[in-house]
Amino acid sequence: MSQAAAVELVDIWKRFPGVVANAGANLRVERGTVHAVLGENGAGKSTLMNVLSGVYRPDEGEVRLDGTPQRFHTPADALAAGIGMVHQEFRLVPSFTVAENVVLGSAERILRRQDVEARVDEVARRFGLATEPDRPVWQLSMGERQRVEILKALWRDARILILDEPTAVLTPNEADELGEVLRHMADDGRSVIFISHKLHEVTGFCDVATVLRGGETVAASLPVAETDAATLANLMVGSTSLAGERPPSRTPGEVRLAVSGLCALGDRGLPTLHDVDLEVRSGEIVGIAGVAGNGQRELAQVAAGLRGATAGSVHLDGKDVTSAPPRRRFGLGLCYIPEDRIGVGLAPRLSVVENAVLRTYKGHRRGPFLVGSRLTAYCRDLVERFGVRTGALGDPIAGLSGGNLQRLLVGRELSGRPDVVVAAQPTRGLDVQGVKAIQDLLVAERDAGAAVLLISEDLDELLTLADRLLVMHEGRIVAAFDPMDSERSVIGEAMAGHLADEGAA
Amino acid sequence: MKRPVLVRRHRPLRGGQPLAFAVGLILALAVGAVLLMAADHEPLRVYQRMFEKSLGDQNAWSLTLNRAVPLGLAGLAVAVAGSMGLWNIGAEGQILAGAMGAAWVARIGGTWPGPMLLTGMLVGAVIGGGLLALVPAMARARIGVNEIITTLMLNEIALRLLQWLIHGPWKDPDSYNFPLTPLLPDQAHLPTLFGRAHFGVIIAGAVILVFGVAASRTAWGYELRVAGSSADTARYAGISLKRKILTVLLLSGGVAGLAGGVELSGTADRLTEGISNGFGYAGIIVAALALMRPSGVAAVALLFGAVQVGGQSIQIIGVPASVSTILQAFILFGAIGAGVFVRYSLRLVPMGVDASGEGEIAA
Repeated sequence: MSQAAAVELVDIWKRFPGVVANAGANLRVERGTVHAVLGENGAGKSTLMNVLSGVYRPDEGEVRLDGTPQRFHTPADALAAGIGMVHQEFRLVPSFTVAENVVLGSAERILRRQDVEARVDEVARRFGLATEPDRPVWQLSMGERQRVEILKALWRDARILILDEPTAVLTPNEADELGEVLRHMADDGRSVIFISHKLHEVTGFCDVATVLRGGETVAASLPVAETDAATLANLMVGSTSLAGERPPSRTPGEVRLAVSGLCALGDRGLPTLHDVDLEVRSGEIVGIAGVAGNGQRELAQVAAGLRGATAGSVHLDGKDVTSAPPRRRFGLGLCYIPEDRIGVGLAPRLSVVENAVLRTYKGHRRGPFLVGSRLTAYCRDLVERFGVRTGALGDPIAGLSGGNLQRLLVGRELSGRPDVVVAAQPTRGLDVQGVKAIQDLLVAERDAGAAVLLISEDLDELLTLADRLLVMHEGRIVAAFDPMDSERSVIGEAMAGHLADEGAA
Repeated sequence: MKRPVLVRRHRPLRGGQPLAFAVGLILALAVGAVLLMAADHEPLRVYQRMFEKSLGDQNAWSLTLNRAVPLGLAGLAVAVAGSMGLWNIGAEGQILAGAMGAAWVARIGGTWPGPMLLTGMLVGAVIGGGLLALVPAMARARIGVNEIITTLMLNEIALRLLQWLIHGPWKDPDSYNFPLTPLLPDQAHLPTLFGRAHFGVIIAGAVILVFGVAASRTAWGYELRVAGSSADTARYAGISLKRKILTVLLLSGGVAGLAGGVELSGTADRLTEGISNGFGYAGIIVAALALMRPSGVAAVALLFGAVQVGGQSIQIIGVPASVSTILQAFILFGAIGAGVFVRYSLRLVPMGVDASGEGEIAA
């Protein structure tokens, strides 16, 4: 019999109203290893970690530490059992010093400043976490703050450290340093769980990887050294969509959307898009494949006018719209289905009618007044045409299901017969019917002559719908494929950043 | 073991707000009765007097309406900003600024005919309140400075400015050194409607009506709702947030300023430090109770006005001012407290179960 693992999560189920976040997920983490938990957004990684750290209680399944079953009622229970979690959003007091933050909330009552600072420094040195214990946290960089978070966990003698997408806020150098710190900790006999969807980090820092998809474990404890990144990418992406019939292609017409030399910054002010060139012609769907977080979202936002470009240009039907506001682009025939349905594409708390007319309300005015009957008629037409199942049209959209929200949004965007459609993750999180309905709408739009830019993390969806396929990696378009005639594994390699000799765009 | 948990309703209880008012009112009166009995008063007699003196006859109604005017305008000012998610905590200062604007016009136009002087004073009041809101509006629209802090701090500045004026340049030379301005000229008073009710009732009603229609029926109001619901959605739809923030905060300040001007020419006869009486702060409560809707503001302001007028009337029969104030607070608190249940429902959940996924807000 092998020794009991440091952490075992056995057959974990967790359901939320309308969603099954974990459907029998398993995870086994050995002592002294850095273990990657991989998965797309919504694969159930965060829920599983929240179960382990005591934030949620699983509906079914068991959490075992060193072979002993545990029942955590609160995060404090998990902490006491030696589980430390470093969240994506740091939980530090900016005006406190490093040392004060580290000891905050731990049991000791009497604190002598020098003592505490010396002891914090000692722990920091032991794990190679260079810090200055007397500096206030607000002066620190993101990477330094993360080290303070890790120190906090180590101070409480966490034997299992969970890091939730730790490199999202780091520069590449800081990320490499983090890798070394994690190695130190593993060598010290602790276990590190590293949640990520960046493949090169997983192959760089981690010993073992577990892949989640749709709330289930699809590959458990793969030895990273013996697994190539393309395999991991394929496991993550999987085949969640219906491998439906490929709709016949059209002969593409003239260029509708042209992007050239485009650069842009990401949410954290770091360069995220690098010199992107692409063209989408009338009557074709151009698919953008890639692992999440490689600049696809930013590309869609720049095209739609919601994010500024730092260099390069965007042309719509030959007109330069690089600095045009979103409404002007919409007027020129560009519609945008954003990744964030609620909060960008749809206004929460407002009614179905109010959301349906978001693009067209100015056309329903009489003087300064909106004509209620015309708004309602327009909305009713949209709801019927696109099969949105809804209660009263005056009720807030919060009552609609994900699929119906997306039908409303996509219907609103497509109803004006756009020339160009930019669709970001249009089917993510939808049920089978919803996926099919949205895909059919996009194909119909293409057949009617629209130029469609389809960004998706679902490779099968892209292979089914796209007429051309581009792969993005770290903000660049690194490869182009013909979806009719390409191996999934080759595309997977490109998504992981490993370029085949030919095929580069 | 079970613990009580508040869970957000999927949609607010239909028609729940008036119901919540009624329930809160009854509870507050019950608790207040205990308080009154402890202070050796007969609750029923006290309540009867409160009702008679605030709503019992034409004269009582006129007092209540007069009191509802500044409360309603201040509430509207907060609600206009609140409908797009902005907090104007500076209505108090804007009321003072409005009163100063109106008083300034009265100083320079003391010999003008009545209609011209009154119009001038009210315009001066709107400009005064708007000017005070200009700095927070620009700071918020251009560089994102939190308007809660800036509007709040300007209250203090407006108060100091007012104090300086009435202690210094605008002081009445015949006031025996009291910090007062001279009496307003006769034609600077708003005409009387009935009893003590002045024309400000019409002005406030009209302004609230106009904003109510604008907020619910126009494209402008629609854009405001979108921006208040989600700034990203507004940007997506091409609604200019900067312009919206600027106009909304300026309008909010102008409406609060109008309250100051109406109060000066309607119920006060001169500018004093106490011209506002805390209406700006009460306006925040009025707006919150009205769920930021202008139609609600009118109703809440009337309730508020009646409670204040009734509360003052019972001091004459010997109920101490403190008890009267506590009673007023109970009534408002009851109505607000019950209002929570319009949007949240109370559920019992076994200990240790996490209900945050269902919108739990408090344990």
